[in-house]
Amino acid sequence: MAGFLKGARGERIFAIATASALVILAVFVIGILISAFSYTDWHTFWSALTSEEILFAIRLSLITATIATVISLLIAVPVAYAISRFRFPGKDIVDSLLDLPIVISPVALGAILLVFFNTPVGAAINDNVVRFVFAQPGIVLAQVTVVSALAVRLLKSTFDSIDPRYEQVARTLGCSKPEAFFRVVLPMARDGLIASVVLTWARAIGEFGATVTLAGATTMKTETLPVAIFLSLASADVAKAVAVIFILIFIAVFALLVIRKLIGRRYQL
Amino acid sequence: MIEVKNLSLRLGEFHLRDISFTINDGEYFVILGPSGAGKTVLMECLAGLHHVKRGEIWLDGQNITRLAPEERNIGYVPQDYVLFPFLDVLGNITFGIRLRHGTADTISARVQELGRLLGIAHLLGRDTRSLSGGEKQRVALARALATSPRVLLLDEPLSAVDQRTAKSLRLELKRIHRQLHLTTVHITHDLMEALQMADRVAIIQKGVVQQVAPPEEMLFHPGSESVAEFIGAPNILDCDTSRQLGQGVVEVDCRGLKLSVPHEGTGRVAKVAILPRHIYISETRPPGLSVNGFQAVVTAINPAGTTVRIWEEVKEKALMVEVPSYIYEEMNLTVGREVFVILRMRRIRCYEART
Repeated sequence: MAGFLKGARGERIFAIATASALVILAVFVIGILISAFSYTDWHTFWSALTSEEILFAIRLSLITATIATVISLLIAVPVAYAISRFRFPGKDIVDSLLDLPIVISPVALGAILLVFFNTPVGAAINDNVVRFVFAQPGIVLAQVTVVSALAVRLLKSTFDSIDPRYEQVARTLGCSKPEAFFRVVLPMARDGLIASVVLTWARAIGEFGATVTLAGATTMKTETLPVAIFLSLASADVAKAVAVIFILIFIAVFALLVIRKLIGRRYQL
Repeated sequence: MIEVKNLSLRLGEFHLRDISFTINDGEYFVILGPSGAGKTVLMECLAGLHHVKRGEIWLDGQNITRLAPEERNIGYVPQDYVLFPFLDVLGNITFGIRLRHGTADTISARVQELGRLLGIAHLLGRDTRSLSGGEKQRVALARALATSPRVLLLDEPLSAVDQRTAKSLRLELKRIHRQLHLTTVHITHDLMEALQMADRVAIIQKGVVQQVAPPEEMLFHPGSESVAEFIGAPNILDCDTSRQLGQGVVEVDCRGLKLSVPHEGTGRVAKVAILPRHIYISETRPPGLSVNGFQAVVTAINPAGTTVRIWEEVKEKALMVEVPSYIYEEMNLTVGREVFVILRMRRIRCYEART
């Protein structure tokens, strides 16, 4: 085996193998996109896109994802900074726990939230403070639960890459600790922050599992874009589903373009 | 005046033990020690970057041990400068003054002043990432000086630049120090750098300050065996006469041994010192003319660890030479053998007669 792959022949075989994998993946992605197109025509696509239900879903998704992104970032910035900079007992355990939402299935996360709101404390919050279960705030909560861990992870690696000595020098120049954070760390974390905002937002838009479990899938009430796909397919309205799929693809491409434009390179996930 | 009293600190592998010394106003104070001795940690304690639990630091009669870095007004230039990459040169220099809400006029006046002082006026609009090592050093220095600190801390300021830049920076640091009369603490692992720059030197080894003394005293009267070992027991020669040869070179007559030595001062050279490792030894006469080259006779050989110490007699003067043992093994040296030695001119230190 080793002898067979030595020298120029090995190089050629390796190049062919990797290039083939690339071609297969590209053909697969393009193929499913074309097949999605073939299920619809412009007229059906446009009328689906401008239907009241889909416009509602677009609006709801944009609003909830934006709120969820703001909340996630407000939580993730201090949390990521603390994990990156401070040493405390049990730090590794906390660090691993914060990764759980990334690894656990979103449906399970939604179910955990649902179970929580069935406990006395959860029920009291749900009944007296904000109604989350099968309601729109539930969408935001589900999205925040799923995406904040992602935001923490992205921001932690950003803060890790910033040498703490920049803050130390800033302090010798007269900055208080918070001033050093706002005047030095945040500007240095600019690229990471932009990437986190965009990716968190894009991920929140696409969130389905936790949302559907906690907030339900009620037409024109808790119907975000992914829920709209689910409902359209459930009622065998493939044209509508395809319209929504293209909206989601458009948002994803837009998000990636924004990152590339603002940061000037591919962000390493 | 800075007073460090019984400072102890453990930080990972570094352990500062019971450190006490005083730095006078306007003094150029060099902390000298091998890498890992705790020099940087000590300097960071002065800057307020570590919580000191044992011992005290006083600045101008004020106990600053518990003060945050921003409350000390101590300028700090880290070893690799740590310029803010998101700001240009001007932004870096004015970072501290802007925090103090300086007016546009005072800021611009200060920038011009520092630009002239450090010769960086032409760099103000540049991205810091495009600067050379020496330029970065100057910008970091300007940034630290901009807020008119009470003390300037320089962490290995010459270690990250090439030799030529180091030489010009060395002169520049001394000039700036003379001009501003600013108490300066400079840390280095380079003995020659410490001897050339310091008003006084503190030698630190394994987290302990071994001796604080002017360079001359350190060289001629090392306070302990470990200091003597670190400095390397220099050859010290008394000189009778000295004669200017021009271009900063002086010819001295050390009781019959005529040496050319670098010397910028105007006073009479009374003593010269050269470290054993700065004398070359050869079994054959070196080709061509050689400055400070002499014939000598080996009088004793003493292997010590990775180096071999050879004593020899040059015109009735005893000199010690140190060579790495792998070089010694390639030579065929025996006691009584005639050899040739060259005293490296640039490594000879001179001391003027005290008036």
